Amino acid sequence: MHVVVATDGSPQSLAAAHHLTSFADPRKISGISVVAVIRPLASVAFADEISQPQGRAGEWTGSFREAAQRAVDAVAAVFDDWGPEVHRQVRSGSPAAEIIEAAEELDAGLVVVAAGGRGLSDVMLVGSTAQRVQHYAPCPVLVVRPAREPGGTERGRA
Amino acid sequence: MAESRPTTVDREDAGLRRSITGKQLFFYTLGDVLGSGIYVLIGLVAAAVGGAFWLAFALGVTVAAITGAAYAELVTKYPQAAGSSLYVQKAFGNKALTFLVTVSFLSASFAATGSLATGFSSYFATLWEGPPALLVSLVFLLLLLVVNFIGITESVVMNMLMTFVEVAGLLIVMVIGIVYIAQGNADFGVLGDISVAGNPALAVLAGIAFSFFAMTGFENTANVAEETIDPHKSFPRSLVGGMIVAGTVYVLVSMAAALTVPVDQLAESDAALLEVVEQGILPFSTDFMTTLFSIIALIAITNTTLVTVVTQPRILYGMAKEDVVPGVFAKVHATRRSPWVGLLFSGAVVAALLIIGNILLQAGGLDLVNRLALVTVVLLLAIYALVIVTCLKLRGRDEDERTFRANTPLLVVGLVGNLAILGFSVYDDPASLLWCAALIAVGVVLFLIEYAVGSRNRPPGIERGDPEAVSRTEA
Repeated sequence: MHVVVATDGSPQSLAAAHHLTSFADPRKISGISVVAVIRPLASVAFADEISQPQGRAGEWTGSFREAAQRAVDAVAAVFDDWGPEVHRQVRSGSPAAEIIEAAEELDAGLVVVAAGGRGLSDVMLVGSTAQRVQHYAPCPVLVVRPAREPGGTERGRA
Repeated sequence: MAESRPTTVDREDAGLRRSITGKQLFFYTLGDVLGSGIYVLIGLVAAAVGGAFWLAFALGVTVAAITGAAYAELVTKYPQAAGSSLYVQKAFGNKALTFLVTVSFLSASFAATGSLATGFSSYFATLWEGPPALLVSLVFLLLLLVVNFIGITESVVMNMLMTFVEVAGLLIVMVIGIVYIAQGNADFGVLGDISVAGNPALAVLAGIAFSFFAMTGFENTANVAEETIDPHKSFPRSLVGGMIVAGTVYVLVSMAAALTVPVDQLAESDAALLEVVEQGILPFSTDFMTTLFSIIALIAITNTTLVTVVTQPRILYGMAKEDVVPGVFAKVHATRRSPWVGLLFSGAVVAALLIIGNILLQAGGLDLVNRLALVTVVLLLAIYALVIVTCLKLRGRDEDERTFRANTPLLVVGLVGNLAILGFSVYDDPASLLWCAALIAVGVVLFLIEYAVGSRNRPPGIERGDPEAVSRTEA
């Protein structure tokens, strides 16, 4: 089974990747594709909040593509030595549509996405990426929500 | 099963998945440019020049298109999405200068947004006179901010549809002009008329300075350069092509307007293109045409304003990443991935501009919003001139056989053109320098705040945006 792990550069998406390794059996996974999607017409086309270091202060080149690549690398690093072969993709367009297309192209058996908090914006504003992926993906979808443990580092929870 | 380190495949393929085609980029440029000025400022240009104001548009557009060619060359060399500030940094390596360029650009962008929001309320009033203009402008601004926050600005299809509507509106004006000529009513003498007192050359220069505002916005297309398919080929073609088409449309539309409506009537109107439609030249009811055209104008203005509202937080984001403005501007919302602090800040600045402008207008008649929009053209002209210099200075660096090369003599003409318009604007209105200085001072204050406290608000060893730091501050 091929697994698509999506990242939007958020800590939640990194937590989602960790969550997959916490319960899945690597021997049953033939390959993992870490996918990031750049949104060309958005204010911030891609925000990387997870790579270490995130490009030192003052060295920002303005390249959202580099930011996306760093985030993909950071998530791919979660699967180092875990077993399955790791592929990396940076795509461009509407996140939900691109994640679904990646899943179709790769004939994926599972898509892993992070959902945001339970804040007002997720209740009020329809059409978050996670929701749309759930609705239209060609395969099962694992939506990892951030845990509500107070103060601690975020850990994934299904 | 691959267990050792090199588990990466697909790496060479990773850079290829770009999404903006040359055609989409063309429409993005066209829509962005067309909405910005002609619907809002055509009356001012007519007032400055007289019946021959199409000439001002023709010259202004030419200078702008040459500047566009310089941008296109730089974009093909440095496709990262940072625009003029990146190029200036590459060429001169002077942080203060780069900062100045960024702040100038941002000021111009804020002022333009204010002017566009005011233009929106002018056209809106023809549909529904009920709500006060200020309220309409503010609600319009708020809606655009929300749309941007949710992230539905990303629809390329939507962008193309809006551009088609914009072009359709200007086609209506042109058709009216053609019908009028066919009816034998046109007096072509108007087109050669520079009826303003004083030196005709200076009158045309004044018109060019105003018309220049109608071309601004093209530099925002550099934002999508990184995601353009085959940028070396498609970017110059789409950017310069889009500007030339927009310029041709402008010239034809201003001719049609000058032929069909007395110039002093155009000059006095807040929504000058409506005057053309209201002449009743086409065999449709005037009410219907006015309503239709107002809606088209509203869509056109929305399209361009949306791009400015998307661009401002992006610039602030980049500046925060470079540590030249406070780090909060680099914050993105956890799920929406929008730079909400930057968005709120941009919204607050423009709203304050609109409110203060309204108070001043009521009190003493100073039209702050349009004043600022024109003043900041001075800043833009300086940036454009600098970008052409940058383009020439970076010749021979970072080039390969695919790099687009703008025609050098043409660039020199463009540089002289920009400087001439700049010189005239300052000569005509020396007070504009004071305004520009005040705007830049605001930016410098932001910079000094960051300089004083920026390095202290981050614990040592933690880079900005560190997941732990972020999750703590976002609770």
